[in-house]
Amino acid sequence: MKAFGDHIRQVRETLRKDNKTFSLRQVAGRIKVEPAYLSKIERNVFPPPSEEVILKLANELGLDGDVLLAMAGKLSSELQQVILERPKLFADLLREMKSAPDHAILRVVREVKDGKW
Amino acid sequence: MLELKQDKLVFRFPELHKHAVCSIDFQRTLRIPDDNREYPLPPSLGRFPIEHTEDHTSGLPSRWAEHGGVLLPMYQSEALWINFSGGYPFAIKIATGKINAVTGKQWTNHLVKKPQDYLVVPDQPWLDGYCVQKGLIRQFVAMPLGDGYTAEEQLTGKAEHGGLQIVVYPMKRVHYEAMMKGQSHRNHEDLCFSVHEMSAPSEMGLAPGGLMRQEIYEDEYGFDAWDLDASSRCFVHILNSNQWNNVTGKPIPGSPPSAVDYTEAGLPWFEFYDDKSNPLQGSTKLAGLDSVAAKTLKLGEKPMKNNEAVTPTKINSLGPNTAKVIDGKW
Repeated sequence: MKAFGDHIRQVRETLRKDNKTFSLRQVAGRIKVEPAYLSKIERNVFPPPSEEVILKLANELGLDGDVLLAMAGKLSSELQQVILERPKLFADLLREMKSAPDHAILRVVREVKDGKW
Repeated sequence: MLELKQDKLVFRFPELHKHAVCSIDFQRTLRIPDDNREYPLPPSLGRFPIEHTEDHTSGLPSRWAEHGGVLLPMYQSEALWINFSGGYPFAIKIATGKINAVTGKQWTNHLVKKPQDYLVVPDQPWLDGYCVQKGLIRQFVAMPLGDGYTAEEQLTGKAEHGGLQIVVYPMKRVHYEAMMKGQSHRNHEDLCFSVHEMSAPSEMGLAPGGLMRQEIYEDEYGFDAWDLDASSRCFVHILNSNQWNNVTGKPIPGSPPSAVDYTEAGLPWFEFYDDKSNPLQGSTKLAGLDSVAAKTLKLGEKPMKNNEAVTPTKINSLGPNTAKVIDGKW
């Protein structure tokens, strides 16, 4: 998997080609971090930032928050809470689905019931 | 398959095509004045929350559990519009109390070609009410089932079903792929009346409210485009918002602002123009219904509150390639 910093830099630079508001300085401003800090994250000098900053970056760059967190080696606090509420159930489910192909995982969804009417 | 995701109904047909996905959500909005003047489109004030019916069956009528579907809270006299999202074409039938909102006829699961009893997405980005005339609808307004206001009761004499009913039919794969080969398709993008305290949940239905300028478009793909063997349905039960917490344990939504307060705050209304599409003529059955205000007078009830006329001065124009502003905050 590509390094976190390399990935966000690549995405941001691609966006910047068509839209100057995706300069390092402007993105840093919108997610409320110092430009120098964001630059070091992008160059992998600093480790990935906090969950909150990662999610702001994901939103800015049009990326999926969970995927970006995973690239940073993190799991969202929301998902952690979900698992912790029923740890055995989710642990068993995740182990069972660990090697399943994508289409099989996608079928494990909660469907809205349609009854008699 | 039908999922409930972030208060949206997501209809998928992966066996048909990976892009065969359509989302439907229900938007809170202003109740436009019910005074026979024509109004532009009101804004979205956020999505209605939706819950699986089967998660909250204790305290609900047993037939709701049989229906399956979902629950949605509305205050008495609150309005709603239906938002459609997705690029893959679908034919969608919408009914309230099993009365078709386009034709005024009784619900059937199948599509009817003439008169067209369905709308076509993505060409139709939203539906705010009953199709009463070419270019005019009467807004969907929630009223208690059994008080005589709903379209269902006015047309059938019975208060049997309530809620909203939906069935969707995707475009056939072969039609979709042929269409995609040479064409680009458009992409779209605290009213609280006192209610009786009831121990049983207050079942709500939808009734015709004020007049709004909105077109329901003809099916330009042709009836043969629809895969009549693939469909998915949903029964949307409407529960009075005051009982939402009792039934679901979730917070009661705040009441929406009045049209007067919203307009005086200088906030925008909307007009949608799509000169490439032909609108349907409207239903004489639906045109013959009493609006909520008219019915209130006929029944000798107190006149509706917050029904003063407004003159929207800020109207934003939308076309097929723009999206209605959603999540307007004030």
